[in-house]
Amino acid sequence: MSIVTLENVTKTYATDTVSVEALKGINLSLDAGAFISFIGPSGSGKSTLLNLMGCLDKPTNGKVTIAGREIGSMDRKTAAQFRGDHIGFIFQSFNLIPVLTVYENVEYPLIMVRRESPEKRKAKVMELLEKVGMADQKDKFPGQLSGGQKQRVAVARALVTEPKLVLADEPTANLDHATAYSVIRLMHEMQEKYSTTFIFATHDPKVVKEAETVFTIEDGLIVSVQHGGEK
Amino acid sequence: MSIVKIAWRNLLRYKRRTALTAALIIIGVLMVIVFGGIGNSFKSEVIESLTSSNLGDFQIHKTGYVGSMDTLPLTMNIPEKAIKTIEATLKNNPEIAAFSERIRFGAMISNYEQTTNVRLTAVDPAQETATCPGIVERVQDGKTGKDALIPQGTILIPQNIAQGMKLKVGSETVIIATNKDGSVNGMMLTVSGITENVQGPQGKDAYINIEDARTILRMESGEISEIAVRVKNFDKLEKTAAAVKAELAKMGAGQNGKQMLELHTWSELSPFSSIANIISLLLLMTRFILLFIVLVSVLNVMTMSVYERIGEIGTIAAIGTSPSKIMGLFLTEGFAMGLLSSIAGAVLGVVTLLVLNAVKLPIRFGNRTYLIAPEIPYTEIALSIAVVLVISLIATLLPAIKAAKMEPVDALRHV
Repeated sequence: MSIVTLENVTKTYATDTVSVEALKGINLSLDAGAFISFIGPSGSGKSTLLNLMGCLDKPTNGKVTIAGREIGSMDRKTAAQFRGDHIGFIFQSFNLIPVLTVYENVEYPLIMVRRESPEKRKAKVMELLEKVGMADQKDKFPGQLSGGQKQRVAVARALVTEPKLVLADEPTANLDHATAYSVIRLMHEMQEKYSTTFIFATHDPKVVKEAETVFTIEDGLIVSVQHGGEK
Repeated sequence: MSIVKIAWRNLLRYKRRTALTAALIIIGVLMVIVFGGIGNSFKSEVIESLTSSNLGDFQIHKTGYVGSMDTLPLTMNIPEKAIKTIEATLKNNPEIAAFSERIRFGAMISNYEQTTNVRLTAVDPAQETATCPGIVERVQDGKTGKDALIPQGTILIPQNIAQGMKLKVGSETVIIATNKDGSVNGMMLTVSGITENVQGPQGKDAYINIEDARTILRMESGEISEIAVRVKNFDKLEKTAAAVKAELAKMGAGQNGKQMLELHTWSELSPFSSIANIISLLLLMTRFILLFIVLVSVLNVMTMSVYERIGEIGTIAAIGTSPSKIMGLFLTEGFAMGLLSSIAGAVLGVVTLLVLNAVKLPIRFGNRTYLIAPEIPYTEIALSIAVVLVISLIATLLPAIKAAKMEPVDALRHV
C-alpha cells in the first residue's frame, strides 16, 4: 500500500528577477513501512521533495498525496493538524526546543497536537525514551546533551505520535561516525517495531547503505532508483 | 507542561532582557501608584480643609449672588420665606449631614487707632461648627471648642488682621457696616479668637455671631446671604447636590424669570478646583507615560523574541502546532511579562506609600502645611495593572501574528 504518491509534481521558486525550477515533474509512489533514501548533490531538489512530502510546502503543479490525503488543497491549520497526526520530522540540527527538558520535548506533540491524557502521555514518552536510551537523561535540557543524544531525543519526538511517515533531512550530518551509526540503527529498529515509513534526504553513505530503496535526484528529476537487492 | 510554563521559561531564557523590560514596567507602575497616591491624598486633604473649614460641600444662594460675590451684596439675600422651604428640603434629604445659614457682608474694623476693611461671615455657631467643623481647628488663639465659638458680642479675626492691628484675644474692636438701605451702623465686639488665614491672597475673613450681624445691619426679617451644606458621603456629592438642585427648582422663578435660587458645589466656588484638575491631568499624563513605556518595551522585546526564534517557530509548526497556538504562545509571554511586572510594580508602590504614610510627607500650600499620609489607591492599582495587561497584549499582538503567519518551510531555513 502506498503512503506517498507524487504525480507530475513540479516546484518553482520565483523571485522578481529569477525563477528556479527545483522539481521538474516527479512521479513516484512509496510503500508504507519502507526505509527510503533520497540522495543527490546539493541543490538537486532533495529537501524540496521532503518539504512537499512533509506537507510543509505545496507543489507548483501536480498532485501530492500523503496517507490518502491530497495536500494541495489544505489550509494552514488543516496542514498543521495533518502533520501532527501523520508525520514525524527529524532535522539535521536536531531542532529541540531549548527551554524544554528531554521529557518535555518528547511530550510536546502529545500536548500541543494530540491533547492526550497525562497518564497516556507519560507512558508513551517513557516508552520512547527507554527505546532510544535517553530515559535516564529525561530531566536534562538540550543544551546539556551531546549531538548524538539530541538526535535520539529528536527520533523519540518524531515517533511519539505514532506517525505513518517520518521524514529525516540529513539526520546524521552533524554527528560523528559512531554516533551516526547508532542513530541509524535506532531508526531502523523503530521502523521495524512501529512499521513506520522512514524517508531520508541525505549525502551520508551510512544511511544510504541501510536504505531499502534509494532514489537519486539530479537537477529536479529522479535519475535512478535502486532497491535493496541491487546495491 | 502548559503554554504558560513554556512562556515563562522563554521569558527566563533571556534573563537580562526580560529583567530590563520588567524593570521599565515596574518603574512605570510604581510612578503611577506613588504619584497617584500622593496627588490624590493632597487633593483630598486640601479639599477637606476647604470644605470643612469654610466652604461647606455646596452652597445655596439667590440666583446671581455668586457672580457678585466679590462685593458681598446685601441686596441679593435669600428671603425669609424661601429659607423655610430650603430648610425643609435639606432636612428631608437623608444625605445632608448639616447646614449653616450665613450673612456675609463687607465692613470696617477699628481698634480706635487703625481701621481696615474686613469680610464678615455671620453665623450661628452651632450650625457652623456642625457644617464646617474645621473652623474649630483653625482657631490658634482664644476659646476653642464648638460651644465656646463666637458667642454674641464677639468676633473671630484672622491672623493677618490681628498682627496688623495688634489685636489679641479680649481686645475691643468696633465694626462699622452699611446696610442695604445705605445707613451706616457700628457695634463694639470683643476678640474671642484668632484664626489661621483662609486660602486666598487677602485672607481678611472674620466671623461674628449672626444675631450681631442682624443688629449691625438692622435687619428686620430673617434673610440670609447663603446656606453652606455638608453632605454625609462626599463621594456622592454630585448626586446629592443634583437632587437638592432639583428640589430648589420647584420653588419657581424669581422676578427676572430665572430660577430664584442657585446651587454651587465647592469646586465651582474655589479656585483650588483648577489645581485639583491640574493634578488629575498630571496623573492622567503619568498613566499615558506608563502606557507608552509598556507599549514600546513589550513590543521591542517580543519582536526580538520572534526574530530570534524563527527556526524554533518553524519546528513547532512542522510538528503540528497550529498557527493559533503559536500566536497564543507569544501572547502568553507578553501577558505574563505584563502581569508579573505590574504586580511587582504595584507591590513596590504599596510599600512606598505605606512608608510615606508612616513618615507623613509635609507639603506647604498657601498658608498651611499639609501632612500628606497617602492612602493605598486601590482603584489606581487595579487600573494600572489592567492598563499594563491590555497594552502588553496589544504590543504582543503584532509579533505574535507575525509568528503565527510564518510559513514553516521558510522558518525552518533559519535554523
